[in-house]
Amino acid sequence: MQAKNKNNENRKAGKYWNLEHIMHPKSVAIIGASNNPDKIGHVIMQNYIDSGYEGKLYPVNIKDSDKIMGFNAYKSVLEIKGSIDLAVIAIPAQAVPQVLEECGKAGVKGVVVVSGGFAEVGELELQNRCVEIATKYSMPMIGPNCLGVMDPRSRIDTLFLPTFKIDKPKIGGVSFASQSGAVGSSILDMIDNEGFGMARFISYGNAAMVDEVDILNYLANDKETKVIVFYIEGVKRGKEFVEIAKRASLKKPIVVIKGGVTEAGAAAAHSHTAALAGSYQAYEAVFRQYGFTIANDLKDLLNYAKIFETQPLTAGNRVAIITNGGGTGVLATDALYKNGLVMAELSEESKKELRKVMPPIVNIRLPLDMAGDADDKRFSAALSIIEKDPNIDAVMAIALFQTPGADSRVAATLIHYGTLMKKPLVVVSMGGSYTQAHKTMIESSGVPVYASPGEAAAALAALFAYSRYVQEKGGLLNNHEMGK
Amino acid sequence: MAELVDYIEAYNMLKKYRIRSVESRYVNSADEAKEFSKGDAIVLKVLSQKALHKSRSGLVMLDLKDGSIESAFKELKRKAEAMQLRPYHIIAQKMVGNGIEIIVGGNTDQQFGKLVLIGLGGIYVETFKDFALRVCPITRYDAQSMLEQLKSGRVIAPDEKSKGMLVDLLMRVSKMFVENDITELDLNPVILHDGTYDAVDLRLMR
Repeated sequence: MQAKNKNNENRKAGKYWNLEHIMHPKSVAIIGASNNPDKIGHVIMQNYIDSGYEGKLYPVNIKDSDKIMGFNAYKSVLEIKGSIDLAVIAIPAQAVPQVLEECGKAGVKGVVVVSGGFAEVGELELQNRCVEIATKYSMPMIGPNCLGVMDPRSRIDTLFLPTFKIDKPKIGGVSFASQSGAVGSSILDMIDNEGFGMARFISYGNAAMVDEVDILNYLANDKETKVIVFYIEGVKRGKEFVEIAKRASLKKPIVVIKGGVTEAGAAAAHSHTAALAGSYQAYEAVFRQYGFTIANDLKDLLNYAKIFETQPLTAGNRVAIITNGGGTGVLATDALYKNGLVMAELSEESKKELRKVMPPIVNIRLPLDMAGDADDKRFSAALSIIEKDPNIDAVMAIALFQTPGADSRVAATLIHYGTLMKKPLVVVSMGGSYTQAHKTMIESSGVPVYASPGEAAAALAALFAYSRYVQEKGGLLNNHEMGK
Repeated sequence: MAELVDYIEAYNMLKKYRIRSVESRYVNSADEAKEFSKGDAIVLKVLSQKALHKSRSGLVMLDLKDGSIESAFKELKRKAEAMQLRPYHIIAQKMVGNGIEIIVGGNTDQQFGKLVLIGLGGIYVETFKDFALRVCPITRYDAQSMLEQLKSGRVIAPDEKSKGMLVDLLMRVSKMFVENDITELDLNPVILHDGTYDAVDLRLMR
């Protein structure tokens, strides 16, 4: 949990910090930049250079030479002539207040304090001084004790994680916010392997000033963000969080994972209700009530994020399963019902059309087992008929690439329908390196692939539950910038 | 320190919000209890800040009629004195038909404020922990989704009529909770019987 700080006193309800200058800076000062590769400021500077940041870069170091990593260096931000949108601060904690004061005087528009050594180690006083200074200059501060922000579009990267150690994701629509830097960086690394792209990454550490409410508000209004993924340990402004959450989840899906589930409840409960409704239950209630998708682990988080990023919403829960492996179709059918979904029924017209195109060994019913020799033509024929069938809301396509008929042309067919069809499509595919190659192909084209029918069904169920929430709350499903 | 709201005060508060709770009255003597019963079966209970688990401590006596009222009253008085429960009240309540027991409650969370709860009640509360929770004030949609969330949803609200009744109850409880100076509340159990419901035990904290 976060330590108590001055945050609440310094801000009135309804006012949220604007993070635009932090996420899209035209100029960045890196305070603590250094030629010494052991310094965090060096790694951050290197990341800016490597990511091809196109704005102005000003290394600042009170002790270092004229040039730092080939750039003109400054002893203080006050020496910099041009305007500064963002200052990244990576220096010892004790020196941070003075540097913030200088940033304020220099008209810096936002800061990220990467340095640790504040409330998390009991130095609350020092942290409060930072908040006071930043507030005095109306200068939003992310951190301290955080990884900061990353934005592949504006090519900013305050993360002190060396480029060679982490697979940084490509550009996309998923924004990720995390209090914890460790969870943040693992997610970042995993996202690239899932083949979907990122809009913004915000690790906000101690949340001394900019907190989850500001971040949720910013991401909800951000055009590039299609899905918000949030790792939350605690919320400081509960009532304001609820207000923002109500509006945000009608604009875009929010997937949340709560850290600290097993935290002990309030010490003295006088009633059954108080004994049942502990702190975690209250969070869960808020998430449910305002249409968030709750993930139970990091794998869930990614599974949900990738369907929301690319697939259209649907308020119907009738799923068609097509497969080139009979047994997997049976497992998938069970998975649907376990997740509150139902197997669709083919319309009479679809049955007639399928009978014409499928070989006699194929039974014309759902799940549609197209047999082990099903090739791209069979997949394509089935999907084109399903696309038009009004009795079907969503599709789970099981493609086992070990079978003789399945090759890259099947992958291309799934990509075609998964990106152009107005109904959500998920692919289930499991196997070794040949399968992995096709999974990457399909996913990087914007169609989610799952390793088991259970995971695919859970993702579809999350999509369905969110769609229903939006519909019940009077939102319009097609208002969502859902990629299609 | 949280303080238990007097039963009759709580009873009247529920009445004001048109939340059904079983007819109840403090009685000072076996004769008053008999007069209250008017020949119907009644329940007698000892209420005291010092006894939180009434049934476990044998402070509840059910299904009393005519002659048994007198001996039950004496017995409860003797127990209350022996357990040093002063100050206490003995309350008489009309018996309610058999039915499924649910809990409707409220709690104050330090981050999110007041929340309402519904769940499978009575002795099942702690065992199954089947409950749904929402932040106040709740909407009709919230109340409906609470019932859908419960594993026991189809048992406690098998048809549209009972669903409607419970949605209405939840919204009234949310309203009462928000508008009054209460921090916690338990209506446990609320008995669903004969197409209606009755809260048979009330615990409101302020």
